[in-house]
Amino acid sequence: MPDMWTSNLLLHELSALVAGLFLLTAFGLIATRQVLACLRTFVLQSLFLALSAFVLGYLNASASLLAVGAITVVVKIVLIPWLLLKTLGDELRARREISQVLNIPTSLLIALAIVVFSYFVSVRILAVAPKGASAMNLPIGMAGLLLGAYAMTVRREAVPQIIAILSMENGAFFAGIAIAPHLPLIAELSGAFDVLIITRVMGVLVMKVHERVGTTAVGDLVTLREE
Amino acid sequence: MGNKILLNVIQVIVVMAFSPLVKGVLNRLKERIQSKRGPSIFQPYYDIWKLFHKDEIVSDYSSWIFRVTPYVVFVTPIFVALLIPVLTSYPLFFAFMADMLGGGFILALGGFFATLAAIDTANPYGPMGASRTRMVGFLAEPVFMIVFFTVSFVAGSTIPYIVQKHWVTPIANFFEPAHVLVMIAFVMLIIAETGSIPVDSPSGHFELAMVDESKGLEYSGRGAALVKWGGCMKVFVLFCIFLNVLVSPWGLAQGDHIGEVLLAVPLILLKMFIFILILVIIESSLAKLRLFRIPEFLGAAFVAAVAAVMTRLLEF
Amino acid sequence: MELFYVLGLPLLTAFLSLLPAKNRNFPAALTILDALLVLAASWLVVLKVSGGAPIIAVKDWLECDAFGGLLLLLVSFVGFTAAIFSWGYTKNIVEPNGAERVRRYYWRYNLFLASMLAVPILAQLTLVWMAVELTTLLSVFLVSFPNTPEAIEAAWKYAVLTCMGAALALFGILMLYWGVAATGGDAFTWTTLLNATPNMPPILVETAFLFILVGFGTKAGLVPLHTWLPDAHSQAPSAICALLSGVETSTALYCLIRMVPCAQGAPGAAPEKWILAFGLATCACAALLLIQVREYKRLLAFSTIEHMGIILVAVGLGGSASYFGAAYQMMSHSFAKSFCFLAAGAVLRITGTRDIGSIRGLIHESPFVGTALLVGAFAISGAPPFAVFLSELNILRAGISSAQYVATGLLVVFIVIAFCGITFHLSRMVFGEPVAKLKRARPPLSYVFSIVLAGIPMALFGLYMPNSLMELLRLASHALGR
Repeated sequence: MPDMWTSNLLLHELSALVAGLFLLTAFGLIATRQVLACLRTFVLQSLFLALSAFVLGYLNASASLLAVGAITVVVKIVLIPWLLLKTLGDELRARREISQVLNIPTSLLIALAIVVFSYFVSVRILAVAPKGASAMNLPIGMAGLLLGAYAMTVRREAVPQIIAILSMENGAFFAGIAIAPHLPLIAELSGAFDVLIITRVMGVLVMKVHERVGTTAVGDLVTLREE
Repeated sequence: MGNKILLNVIQVIVVMAFSPLVKGVLNRLKERIQSKRGPSIFQPYYDIWKLFHKDEIVSDYSSWIFRVTPYVVFVTPIFVALLIPVLTSYPLFFAFMADMLGGGFILALGGFFATLAAIDTANPYGPMGASRTRMVGFLAEPVFMIVFFTVSFVAGSTIPYIVQKHWVTPIANFFEPAHVLVMIAFVMLIIAETGSIPVDSPSGHFELAMVDESKGLEYSGRGAALVKWGGCMKVFVLFCIFLNVLVSPWGLAQGDHIGEVLLAVPLILLKMFIFILILVIIESSLAKLRLFRIPEFLGAAFVAAVAAVMTRLLEF
Repeated sequence: MELFYVLGLPLLTAFLSLLPAKNRNFPAALTILDALLVLAASWLVVLKVSGGAPIIAVKDWLECDAFGGLLLLLVSFVGFTAAIFSWGYTKNIVEPNGAERVRRYYWRYNLFLASMLAVPILAQLTLVWMAVELTTLLSVFLVSFPNTPEAIEAAWKYAVLTCMGAALALFGILMLYWGVAATGGDAFTWTTLLNATPNMPPILVETAFLFILVGFGTKAGLVPLHTWLPDAHSQAPSAICALLSGVETSTALYCLIRMVPCAQGAPGAAPEKWILAFGLATCACAALLLIQVREYKRLLAFSTIEHMGIILVAVGLGGSASYFGAAYQMMSHSFAKSFCFLAAGAVLRITGTRDIGSIRGLIHESPFVGTALLVGAFAISGAPPFAVFLSELNILRAGISSAQYVATGLLVVFIVIAFCGITFHLSRMVFGEPVAKLKRARPPLSYVFSIVLAGIPMALFGLYMPNSLMELLRLASHALGR
């Protein structure tokens, strides 16, 4: 077999593999208890996003995708953890989430249902717009998005909620790099900027919550109600 | 045909002979990583030899199950060893008896009898350990099923010999997401089924914390030797399935010649050794999970296996 | 050219407010001046676009058409009145805590205003999304400004839920970009999207629209993702509440209903049914929850949710008369709601409590505040002769003439329930025997000034509408439908 073909096939399989591992990290965000482990899972997810961007950029010969990968590495793998650790510091290292709204095995089953749902939605869409190697990115990106939303509702601690929102953006971009190979840089830059501001703002807000309310278990804040 | 029967017998002898060695190497490496000296790698052989020469004491309150179990636990891995690729990459004489699902059921049969026997003895720690093993088992069985299902869905067959070929030709198939995720799920399963950390502590002596070990507490003499040896062989067989079917289906004998087959023996031992190294690193870096978190661990394995099926479906 | 001023002036003022100045009123005065200039610039924009042609400052980047002009006018007006109100707020409440806090307030206020002004004038969809996200992120600390535990909790829920919505909307926008790029569009602007959707597969357009509906709908306060709105809009300082309720939800709704004609372009896609369903559900929940609130600011916040639902129902009913009603409702709601919140702020200042039950007989104790609250209550719940009444009447008439009796009937029921709820609660506060002694008899002068200013268009546009505004509304409604 000509080398070019096998290497392309290998890259296709690698891109599919990265997609599978991305999905696994999205599950991991629901299942990890320690806050620091949550952050590491997010970094791992961003790493897979960057890898996918690099592979797809090489396959589609798109410089903007390679730039997307580079920006992801810089912002999500380096800057965001640094920013969170700087703003929250000791809080982050000590925190351990005692309970979620639903217990973890149930959450994992619901997460599976969400993946099945996004698969069915994406299959209908992909049927009308054929694509090659990156057909997996749309359903897995959508699943990552919805799993992040689910993780956010189910978590009680503040920092895992922030990380869940950041992972939603990861999922949106994971789908985006496959369906829009020549995404203008402005989209990725605004996404990266947005993610940085979210981290900064919400990190400071978590510190305020901790100061004034005394705990970072924000899921338990229910003083504002209609009773 | 006679050759094939002979090769099958050699396969079984290899499994019987080298499984205590695998156990011994595992124990020694674990101790070494903790900067201790560790027992000799042949220690399990000495233990089995010693136990065969001791008297057997059987409780009056136990039934035939207790007497039969050591034999069942000893024989079931041998059965499975007849079916799976240990030394050769083509099916041997008895391989028609069952495919992977059948092999899984036969292994489960051994575990089932061991659990029953533990309850049979009226020793307080027996049923406690038995119920915990069942909890781990009932959560692990669906994962087994889904793993087998994924593997057969991908490769198109449930016979291990056919499945193993799928992953290596072409080499790109090795990196299929279904493959990698199934490997991850299966490693977690092996940890659960062989009672390693983080599910259970195989070298612990504290009966209240035992999950798997407490099933073997009541046996003595020949029974204990058979149970111990059977446990080693179960571990060996599981490793074989993992390595030869999923991970590294290379180095197996392609031809009929007895020399080739004998050459495959050190190769399989080498593969086992590398896997043991990885397993020891995993074991030494994690702490034992609290009992209520074992479902989470197995839930993660389940999710990985289902994600493997999902990604396979999505690729179409 | 005006568009550059509109965007640049608040940014400049934001930076200038950070400078420590001799005169302690410097940031406040600067902000009021800047808001006035922005209002003037927006009025110039409106005059230009009501001529019919959109303003194009930088092609494909900074453009403004009639609908955008309407929103620009609303944002700048409410920004102006809220800035005047903030003078009194910062002088009396914040300044005792230090001039540093005052400077921070105005720094954030101006940035927030700039981000809201940016939404209607940016043409690239990804930048519009970014601007909507920025309106949230820049106002989080304004919501938590009072630094009470309730305010911080409200700010947290606000931040988390709206960021989640923004991520969902981002996914929808990326899918739309895929469609546009596949059909050969070059820049990703509103007009390109409008032209490209007839060629895109309908399933793609519908799915993307649903994601955007849920995403931006979270920001606009649609049920079932509205839970952050009563908290955030009641705990923030009143000037900020006026901005949040009056215009920030409208900017999110603006993006959403601008998407509707794009979605309608794809053959077979029918976004109206989703919009109608969500709109009616929102009205229902808001009207029913309105009845049992305990705090008057939460009451007004639920009324905001109600009005957002009404606007969505109007868009969902379809037809140019109903689109006109939607644009009109947007305008009348912004004016009336900001007035109400400024009046509520004055009530809070003189009574010191947020609770409805503990305030009675305001009209006897402080006639100005009592009258303002009463007028606001009638205005926002849709009593004649205020503008909200006329716009709701327009919508109902359009609904009946297009033979959608069920939806219109339900809408009438919910509007009536909300009317009863609002007037009951607020008039109980205004009339009756005075219960407690007031903290101070008269609100600060700047409060009075801002309330009067805010009341002028609210009272005026129910009776008489200048031709240019009428034309603006008509042109804006063209942007809502195909």
